[in-house]
Amino acid sequence: MLIVDDHASFRSLARRLLVADGFDVVGEAGDAADAFDAVRSLAPDVVLLDIRLPDLDGFGVAEVLAGDDGVYGAPTVVLVSSRARDDYGRRVDASPARGFIAKDDLCGDALRRVLGDP
Amino acid sequence: MSSRRDAVTTWATALAAVLAGAAAAGALVSGGYEVPAELVAPTLVLNLAVGWSFVGVGLAARRRRPGNRTGLLMVLLGFAWLARFLVAVDTTPAFVLGVLLGSVSLSLFVHLLVTFPTGRTAGPAQRVLVAVGYLLSAPLDAVFLALGAQRGRGEGPPPNGLLITPSSGGLSPEPVDIVVQAVVVAVFVSVLVSIWTRWRAAGTAARRALTPGLVGGTVVVATLLVERTAILLLLPPSVGVVFAWSAQVVLVVWPIALLLGLLRSRLDRSGVGRLVVELGDGPAVPARLRSVVARTLHDPTADIAYRVPGTDTYVDAAGHPADVTPRDDRAVTHLERDGERVAVLRHDPVLAGEPDLVAAVAAGAGLAVENERLHAAVREQLEEVRASRTRLVEAADAARRRVERDLHDGAQQRLVAVGLALRLARARLASRPEELDALLVEAGEELTAALDELRELARGIYPALLTDAGLGPALASLAERAPVPVVLEGVPAQRRSEPVEQTCYFVVSEAVTNAAKHASASRVAVSVVPDGGDLRVEVADDGVGGADAEGSGLRGLADRVAALGGHLLVSSPARGGTRVTATLPCG
Repeated sequence: MLIVDDHASFRSLARRLLVADGFDVVGEAGDAADAFDAVRSLAPDVVLLDIRLPDLDGFGVAEVLAGDDGVYGAPTVVLVSSRARDDYGRRVDASPARGFIAKDDLCGDALRRVLGDP
Repeated sequence: MSSRRDAVTTWATALAAVLAGAAAAGALVSGGYEVPAELVAPTLVLNLAVGWSFVGVGLAARRRRPGNRTGLLMVLLGFAWLARFLVAVDTTPAFVLGVLLGSVSLSLFVHLLVTFPTGRTAGPAQRVLVAVGYLLSAPLDAVFLALGAQRGRGEGPPPNGLLITPSSGGLSPEPVDIVVQAVVVAVFVSVLVSIWTRWRAAGTAARRALTPGLVGGTVVVATLLVERTAILLLLPPSVGVVFAWSAQVVLVVWPIALLLGLLRSRLDRSGVGRLVVELGDGPAVPARLRSVVARTLHDPTADIAYRVPGTDTYVDAAGHPADVTPRDDRAVTHLERDGERVAVLRHDPVLAGEPDLVAAVAAGAGLAVENERLHAAVREQLEEVRASRTRLVEAADAARRRVERDLHDGAQQRLVAVGLALRLARARLASRPEELDALLVEAGEELTAALDELRELARGIYPALLTDAGLGPALASLAERAPVPVVLEGVPAQRRSEPVEQTCYFVVSEAVTNAAKHASASRVAVSVVPDGGDLRVEVADDGVGGADAEGSGLRGLADRVAALGGHLLVSSPARGGTRVTATLPCG
């Protein structure tokens, strides 16, 4: 999986937390541009994507990644934010992302629930 | 003295005109030529009427408008007209002088018509036309005399066409006569083209002055044209006779038309009376004054701009800024009250030649102007208050957005990290206890940083120290925390009202932030000193300057200061540092 967030401390802790919970984190990106490069070169199955990024926001990145031109291999996108899901109204449901996890709820189990793994 | 001398000159001229008329009559009756008895009375009546009409009206015009040359031209024309009668005296000197002066009146006529209503030539085309008009009279006649022209001298009626008779034009004109007449016709046509081109280009106000004179002049020129072309086209002379008589009849009344155009302002005085009445009983509707004044001045483009008291700014009736610099197509008359400029009348430049009318309108509109000015000033303030209210609301919203973003990007992110670190620590408790210490240190550091950020944020929202300890300690704390060295050069120990202290603090805070963030300053000097009943706050840095006083930060400060009735001045020349000065009334 790939972790996209502009806060280095969050990326570092999330990586360790998810690795400890059995996930294979293949890379990190600090903004949308880096995220596109990383998706192309690393081809992750899952992208853990912060909604608030310095360039394009997480919804925009999710749209691009889900594009039907196959450039990005349509990875599963899970949105994260330090805000609550309600703060984004219906935007989370409307986006091609698989689901949403509040940052303070992030753990392996939460991610598995969103991904629908057993 | 000078008005008495003017009166003497006027009466002397009038007397001279009477004597000249009598001399002309004497020359005609007993000059030595045969004058048909039936022509004596009509010739004398008409010619004396033309001559005296020009002299009389010219004198009147000169008295009313001394700076205007039209009156002088009219007086000269009247005398030149009477001087034609010199040829009626049957002696050679009288003949020569009479022929030379014979058509000077026509040159003066062209001069008058082309330059009406100022009497002064404007532009090369007018000068050429007037010059050609003069060349065609005495100089050309002198050439003919030198060549031995007799102009019908001898037995019979007086020579040089003085009397209007069928024989005076001659039945078989010489080729040279035809050429001269063609040139005269060309000059007359040019005169017509010139004056009507001018009329078309003129504004409404100028047209009112031009129209009576031009219409009368056109009739005279048209009659002369037909008369002259009758000679050119070899029409029977009897046709020319009719037109020659008509031209003289029109010439009698034409001076009155000229006077009408010249003295329009006198006639319009009654319009000013109506203006005062109209302004007095109508409702005070914005822009009504403008329309009444425009109607009275007969200048639809005329309007009024009001000076905002205590400034050099002018606004229109709606309170919008107005440009009051004179332009080619726009003259400006200042309206004063008790020696102070209160408004300007912007009008057609042609009205600048009628200071009487403009002054009368200005005086008539005085009280209404004062009222409108107060209205306009209030409207201008209202506009400014509305604009600043909008900006204050926008600034408050922007500040909330900034607080939300700062919270989200700062403390909230750090607290999330603390949460994640603690969760990770719990997981490590069983599997890898050796990493626990590092994780707890990390969580502790994030918590400390989160607290710092929250504290800074809270201070930015409102400095508690300001309320608790006052301006001095709050500014000292601000100086300590600032990213650039800040020197506090003077802060009054005395407490001021809360709004004054707050505004003062935010002026310093914003200016110091700007100095560090945008101006790359290396030093900032802050002083807060009492100035009469005011508090003067000055923040000067040594940075790059060029600050935008209309930018949201400084604009917001200006609004804040204005809300207390104070002024904010920003001086920020490029590479010259920035100096922000706020004056806050403390009364």
